[in-house]
Amino acid sequence: MLTALILADSRFPGGGHVHSGGLEEAAARGLVHDEPSLRSFLHGRLLTSGLLAAGFAAAAARGEDLAVLDAELDARTPSPAQREASRAQGRGMLRAARRAWPSARLEELPRDPHQPLVIGVLVDDPYEAALTCAYLAVSGPASAAVRLLGLDPFGVNAVVAALGVEDVAARAAKELPALGSPALDLLAEAHVRREGVRLFGS
Amino acid sequence: MKATARLVVTRDPHGNSVVRVLRSQSPLTLVPHRRVGPVALVHLVSSVTAPLGGDSLSLTVEVGPGASLELRGVAATLLLPGSSGDASSSETRFLIEGSVHYLPEPTVVTSRARHTAVVEAELDGHAQLRTREVLVLGRTGEDPGSLTTSVRATRCGKPLLHQQLVVGDRELDASAAGLAGKRVIGTEVVLDGVTRPALGGEWWSAVPLAAGGSLVTALGDDVVTITRVLDAI
Repeated sequence: MLTALILADSRFPGGGHVHSGGLEEAAARGLVHDEPSLRSFLHGRLLTSGLLAAGFAAAAARGEDLAVLDAELDARTPSPAQREASRAQGRGMLRAARRAWPSARLEELPRDPHQPLVIGVLVDDPYEAALTCAYLAVSGPASAAVRLLGLDPFGVNAVVAALGVEDVAARAAKELPALGSPALDLLAEAHVRREGVRLFGS
Repeated sequence: MKATARLVVTRDPHGNSVVRVLRSQSPLTLVPHRRVGPVALVHLVSSVTAPLGGDSLSLTVEVGPGASLELRGVAATLLLPGSSGDASSSETRFLIEGSVHYLPEPTVVTSRARHTAVVEAELDGHAQLRTREVLVLGRTGEDPGSLTTSVRATRCGKPLLHQQLVVGDRELDASAAGLAGKRVIGTEVVLDGVTRPALGGEWWSAVPLAAGGSLVTALGDDVVTITRVLDAI
């Protein structure tokens, strides 16, 4: 449980703070501009890519083959920008984890692993791993919204607290999902093409 | 209504692609063209209004080494509810050692329809597949029913693409992280040995998949615009 808390903490030095999960692009287009539109974005993100990531974290926590999971998650992540964001966050998390929780299973991870697999290896309870992953899928974009849009941190926190993160984690722990999110993929691809100042890597 | 259809295409010694097995079962009616050549052309005709709620349709397509098949739809598919209130389903399975171009017409999800559509493709080392899917959320002014689609493609058992899409959930459809309020979703999967760079515009992208091949995705408000984007790649 403590490991899950540390990983979900925004002060964890895994490099997650440089990713907005598509929020920067959505905000730049005016698609997210206030609390209701942020709630809609986070709800959509949680039920698509959040559920997908949480499902893979749970599978890794159950001890499933990591190379197989890595290939299956690639097949479910058609956007190269999304794959790169997931692997960059996995790489950052793995770097910190090797110091804090060294283990043989951690060394079984493929090079530049997808982040959900790292979470699953570190948090070996499937539901807790899924919960950590599902929470991270919305907490990063939520804090990015505070920084980019100047939204009220208390209001944004209330939005996050009301999302169905636990329901999604419970669903994710049951079977390997394959849910795509066309709009998130398009936002991620447009974000890497965007010229000018970008505060976030994704 | 339950229906099963099967289509087998192989290459003959002269290099022509020949339809070897053609088993239709209404509403899945397969109509081959008489022309002889390197590519066999078959139209998939829905010979009864389908699918309605409760229907279960299954099509298996096998294409042998060196053979090439173009399988085309002729009319848009309207997903409709049945009188029973049951869900409907369709399953299309490809076993490809040659090359397949599958081009169905758009699928319209009418209100109260409940449908699951599964496409599975198993490719061998040199096989090629190009397939398109255009989904329309309801007729003009109509809210869509629910539809779950799933596409899974493997090459020599390794996963290339696995995507599920759920439409008809009002909140998710409207979310900028769902379908962004767009009414038409188009995808084109191209599984071949060609490496293409990532391209895109505001609501479309063409991207290389991790294990080979490309996926084009486009969101929009009308079929004509979406088809134009998919045709251009």
